[in-house]
Amino acid sequence: MNIDEIFDNTSFTIDREPHIILDTTVCTGCDNRGCANSCPARCYSWSEEEQKMTFVYDGCLECGTCYVVCHRNAFTRWRYPRGGFGVAYRMT
Amino acid sequence: MSKNYQAIVIGAGPAGSSAALTMARAGLDVALVERGTFPGEKNMFGGILHRMTSIEEILPDFWERAPLERHIAKKGTTFMTDQASFHVQHETVNFDRAPYNGYTVFRPNFDRWLAEEAVKAGATLITRSTVDDLVLKDGRIAGVSIQGRSGQLNAPVVIAADGVLSFTAQKAGLRRPTFNADQMAVGVKALIDMPREMIDERFGLVRDQGFANEFVGCTGGVRGGGFLYTNYDSLSVGLVFHLGSLRISGKTPYDLLNEFMEQPQVAKLVRGGRLQEYSAHLIPEGGYNMIPEVVGNGILVTGDAAALCNATGVNLEGINLASHSGILAGRTVVEAHERNDFSTKTLKRYKERLDLSWIMQDLKGFKNAPKMLHINRIYNEYPDLVCSMMEHIYRIDGTPKMSIPKLVLREVKKKVGLKNAISDAFTAWRAL
Repeated sequence: MNIDEIFDNTSFTIDREPHIILDTTVCTGCDNRGCANSCPARCYSWSEEEQKMTFVYDGCLECGTCYVVCHRNAFTRWRYPRGGFGVAYRMT
Repeated sequence: MSKNYQAIVIGAGPAGSSAALTMARAGLDVALVERGTFPGEKNMFGGILHRMTSIEEILPDFWERAPLERHIAKKGTTFMTDQASFHVQHETVNFDRAPYNGYTVFRPNFDRWLAEEAVKAGATLITRSTVDDLVLKDGRIAGVSIQGRSGQLNAPVVIAADGVLSFTAQKAGLRRPTFNADQMAVGVKALIDMPREMIDERFGLVRDQGFANEFVGCTGGVRGGGFLYTNYDSLSVGLVFHLGSLRISGKTPYDLLNEFMEQPQVAKLVRGGRLQEYSAHLIPEGGYNMIPEVVGNGILVTGDAAALCNATGVNLEGINLASHSGILAGRTVVEAHERNDFSTKTLKRYKERLDLSWIMQDLKGFKNAPKMLHINRIYNEYPDLVCSMMEHIYRIDGTPKMSIPKLVLREVKKKVGLKNAISDAFTAWRAL
């Protein structure tokens, strides 16, 4: 299972309006960044070199892991996608 | 545009659809609101659908008509390391005949079917609608608003069945403090396509028999476990991680899932299959101590939203608790309509019903189980201990054998420490 190929295996209807907005400046000062390793869809990547968090919501599985593990309250917005958008499981 | 109903149910999962079905059968005008394009689109579980005795009362032919996969006739537990595994298995003809003890199901099929049963009973299913907030009027719940839409849905009472991360319960002030990583787990799953005959052959199954296996020692030291369930022509293979432990581990769910599927003994089980779908979902595994207030003024909380999940490590139950709690909530709302009173005073009858039911009795009885599952040695040292002990017992190499009690003692001292083992045994005894 290659996480980079998540779009080959799991279906998404991506909304142009993000359902999660992350204030990445908060992440820079975070001592844990549990989101980066815990997110099952690898939506969060921390670059040690640039000291920068990158977040993409496209492949979000809407599990809520990031919301629960973030202890710095770095989300400007965290909600489920608008009705009809987001991940669409077929046979799970 | 506003619409009026006698009750609104948020979320068309097992809890929500069971609640809507109960209320619609009693003649109430019910809205069942679902954010997916169809019920079940967002739902994922490990998992086994266990006996659902309360829904059998409403739908006597439930097991004949529901879209099920295989019935679980065989259950196994495997203690493993990256090299070795020790497997125990239980099988009985009693689980191979009706009433069956549990089934594998596909949630997009099952949840859709159950919601349609609620619709047949008269409920209005509103899909593609993510609830944004509760609407209050004179300090009382008066309905819900939908994200991206003007207008609202009005009702004097709302049932929150919006799942593990229930923003509805949170917004109603019933979940305080907020969600806690130490009470949550995340499950990841690979759905693996495999011909039916290959599954039957490989797992020793005939007819519609299914196999369910749980694994310990396969999570790279992170608190958690693995599972493998057989569907008709696919396998559900996955891992569950305790979030408090995962977030400080530096390890990722997908790398650990790959390592799990590549472990030599597991690799043989999944060989020849093809990945069809990858999914993830949170599990409220905190048990009794995690349950929020389940009743407020004009609101009831059910299923995962109320953390009604029994994850003791032996059985993993959720849908049966969800459905039963939905039915109890539905009955309470029917009574509230008879009295035309939706205050906490009337609705608290739901809490009383829950407390009297097997749901709370089980959760209370196993309330120490989460504590046991926080023993980190379960996830590394003990599986290693079991595997290495068995290797010593089975190995014949021309050297004199140690007596088994002596060997056990030596290995326990070496791998775990005697004091730890005694204290862990005590915790486990109290938990189970």
